[in-house]
Amino acid sequence: MTKTNIEAAGWSSDASRLNLRRRRRSETWLKGAGLVAISLAFLMLFTLVASLFATGYQAFRQTHVTIEVTVPAEVTDPGDANWRAIVREAVARLFPEAGDRELRGLSDILSNGAQYIVRDRVSANLSLIGQTFEVKVPVSDPYDQLNKGLIDRATPEANRRVSDDEIAAFDQLVEAGRITRPMNWALLTNVDSRFPELAGLKGALLGSFYALLTCFVISFPIGIGAAIYLEEFAPKNRLSDIIEININNLAAVPSVVFGLLALAVFLNWFGLPRGAPFVGGLTLALMTLPTIIIATRAALKAVPPSIREAALGVGASKQQVVFQHVLPLAMPGILTGTIIGLAQALGETAPLLLIGMNAFITAAPATPFESATALPTQIFIWADSPERGFVSRTSAAILVLLGFLVLMNALAIYLRNRFERRW
Amino acid sequence: MEGKVPSEHHIMAAFDRELESVQALIMKMGGLVEANILDAAQALEARDEELAERVRNVDVAIDELEEQVNHEAARVLALRSPAASDLRTVLSVMKIAGNLERIGDYAKNMGKRVSVLAQMPPIDGGGGALRRMTKVVAEMLKDALDAYIQRDAELAHDVRLRDHDVDQMYNALFREFLTFMMEDPRNITACMHLHFIAKNIERMGDHVTAIAEQVIYLVTGQMPEDRRPKGDETSYIHPEEDAE
Amino acid sequence: MRDTSETEIAVAGQTAIKFTAKDVDVFYGETHAIRGVNVDILDKTVTAFIGPSGCGKTTFLRCLNRMNDTIPICRVTGDIRLDGEDIYDRRVDPVQLRARVGMVFQKPNPFPKSIYDNVAYGPKIHGLAKNRAELDGVVEDALRRAALWTEVKDRLKEPGTGLSGGQQQRLCIARAVATNPEVLLMDEPCSALDPIATAQIEELIDELRENFLVVIVTHSMQQAARVSQRTAFFHLGDLVEYGETGQIFTNPHDPRTESYITGRIG
Repeated sequence: MTKTNIEAAGWSSDASRLNLRRRRRSETWLKGAGLVAISLAFLMLFTLVASLFATGYQAFRQTHVTIEVTVPAEVTDPGDANWRAIVREAVARLFPEAGDRELRGLSDILSNGAQYIVRDRVSANLSLIGQTFEVKVPVSDPYDQLNKGLIDRATPEANRRVSDDEIAAFDQLVEAGRITRPMNWALLTNVDSRFPELAGLKGALLGSFYALLTCFVISFPIGIGAAIYLEEFAPKNRLSDIIEININNLAAVPSVVFGLLALAVFLNWFGLPRGAPFVGGLTLALMTLPTIIIATRAALKAVPPSIREAALGVGASKQQVVFQHVLPLAMPGILTGTIIGLAQALGETAPLLLIGMNAFITAAPATPFESATALPTQIFIWADSPERGFVSRTSAAILVLLGFLVLMNALAIYLRNRFERRW
Repeated sequence: MEGKVPSEHHIMAAFDRELESVQALIMKMGGLVEANILDAAQALEARDEELAERVRNVDVAIDELEEQVNHEAARVLALRSPAASDLRTVLSVMKIAGNLERIGDYAKNMGKRVSVLAQMPPIDGGGGALRRMTKVVAEMLKDALDAYIQRDAELAHDVRLRDHDVDQMYNALFREFLTFMMEDPRNITACMHLHFIAKNIERMGDHVTAIAEQVIYLVTGQMPEDRRPKGDETSYIHPEEDAE
Repeated sequence: MRDTSETEIAVAGQTAIKFTAKDVDVFYGETHAIRGVNVDILDKTVTAFIGPSGCGKTTFLRCLNRMNDTIPICRVTGDIRLDGEDIYDRRVDPVQLRARVGMVFQKPNPFPKSIYDNVAYGPKIHGLAKNRAELDGVVEDALRRAALWTEVKDRLKEPGTGLSGGQQQRLCIARAVATNPEVLLMDEPCSALDPIATAQIEELIDELRENFLVVIVTHSMQQAARVSQRTAFFHLGDLVEYGETGQIFTNPHDPRTESYITGRIG
């Protein structure tokens, strides 16, 4: 190009202006495409969470009925007494005009666990013997559904869960002001039950907790140790390359495979107790190890070599360099990776199902070696249950699980920001 | 870095240009001085006042050149931080310029005395001897400047030795003038002037020798060790003693 | 700065030899980085290594405190002796050697700890102080020797990374001298600093040479000229010329040295 051509073309020529317009247009398209993609993602996320909320929010409140209970003075040992009769008597007091046959039906308004609730109340406070006191007990599931408006009164009686008489009796209680709908803390504090109004996540929460604890205790030191060895001390040869490739591939193995492995090795071979959180934790540890190793290696690699050189220059040994300088600086990255790995482990269902943490267990595990369920498997069980009440409770349990996941990820982000180092 | 051969030229071409420029000034100055010496001697012998006037004017240009050389050399020192041979080049350029300027001054001095001498009867052989002496010095200067441009230490050594001849010629002239002055007191004024001129030419030779020594320093990195041959014995000449 | 005549006399005179290197070769895998270097480095002087990039001066420097051991493909052959003892002997512990031969790097790299902990780290791991009071004394002494004490004595608990560039480099120097080394190796210590900080470090080096041998690698010839008493010129892995600094810069013997110093080699 001769000088005159360039001068003639210039920056304000038509050709360059067209070029500029074209470039701006493509930038706008790109921005638009990005916005559309993000909006779609948000829309789907919002839909998921909204639907969960819609079905689940009812489970966070449980309908209760206030009854007056008289404990006969003859009762000496609360464990011995006939609480069923005592509760029946309280129901009779609610409906003074009702006959015996009707009373039997009306007793169904109360939850099956009402007698145990009253018994536990008296056992805790023996001075109540001989007294009359008020106690709130949960209503059974059909009436809970009725009170929450989930049973349509307009449907014909034959297709309804509750008959007209039952509805009338219930409305009577409502008018008497005896029906309340407090927060359903029992969802978190009760163990599992076949009655939805009594079912809670305590067993599952404990099971998940023990499983995660086991997972952390096993995978954290082993993972970090392996990563430190591979990154700092192992000779750089083909063997280390092969190990590194295998670890990276392990992170991609489907979780159900780990479950089968656990079934074959831990349960069959080692004979460990079936459905124990400990075994679940072992399996989860196998799955979390690659994540922790990869995250730790990345964190170690990110420590600038100038720090290592400085430490070596002052006369620190390799070990001192790694443990006194590199590791503390890599800790934020390691912690973040660990927490993310644990959060993933929290939500894993397939391996836990395979090792048997999907049984119907009504007692919370006292040790990690007793059979239990975990949050994801509990959701699985509830999703299968026939009672209406479990529909909302399943969604509520999912929300609880999501809540914990969000909490753990938030903790990871907080830790990362708090300890971010500027070299 | 592999395969790069050290070259004659600096990586900074501007540095090369600056060094060349300041050395070109020296050569120009040297040429002017050389011509001026010969012109001064010619003016003396031919009693040419016009030529003498020209000599004086040229000396103004020589002085200006010396200032210019000093200025440019100072710039190179400040801006380029020269080392080793470059440093010696700059240092020697400054000293050579100073020496050339002194030589030029002596030539101008010779020219100044032409008008005085023109009014006096010529001294036999005086003018010719002076011209021969000047010619030797002019050749020494030419060779010294050649040695500088060619970085020839041998030639510079040779120039140093030839100063001995100049000193001898001066000794001879000194005695001759004494004789003339003792013979005829009317010669005294002329002889005194001629003597001063001879002294100036001898001093010119010394300055040319200094230039040659700078060349040796530039090329070898050291000043010549042997003491400069000093042939000037005039401090000790005593005619009454000689006669005895 | 000292008188030039004084340094010439001191160097020419009876200064002891601290480091001797005989037929030292260094290989990075297949590459022959250092070829047959022979040099005697004198105690209590500042020796500068100069040369174009990739000539091997930093490689050779790192041989003197066995920092090249940390690079797996690096192989060192030949004889390097500190006070007559071979430093590559199997019985010599490189970790201890590095307490005797300290190092300061190109970019200031203080530990992300407090100023006090930075300086105290070396003495602590080598067990040079018996109690806290002694350690305090060692830290103060080192900071004084690095000309940093008056500036930081009221904020020893603050992080070392909060200082300015020149102060950080002086902190690294304090950290290096805290283990009471005999030799201080400096790898282009001023290349990341502004001119005033550079001048302060150079003055510090001149003070340090009363007690240590200082070997400084620099790509600035003017710095080598200002700061050192002896200069070694490296070129393509060879030690081309080694001599008194004044002589190297006014009248070098080897034409390659001359070419480099006058700016004729690339």
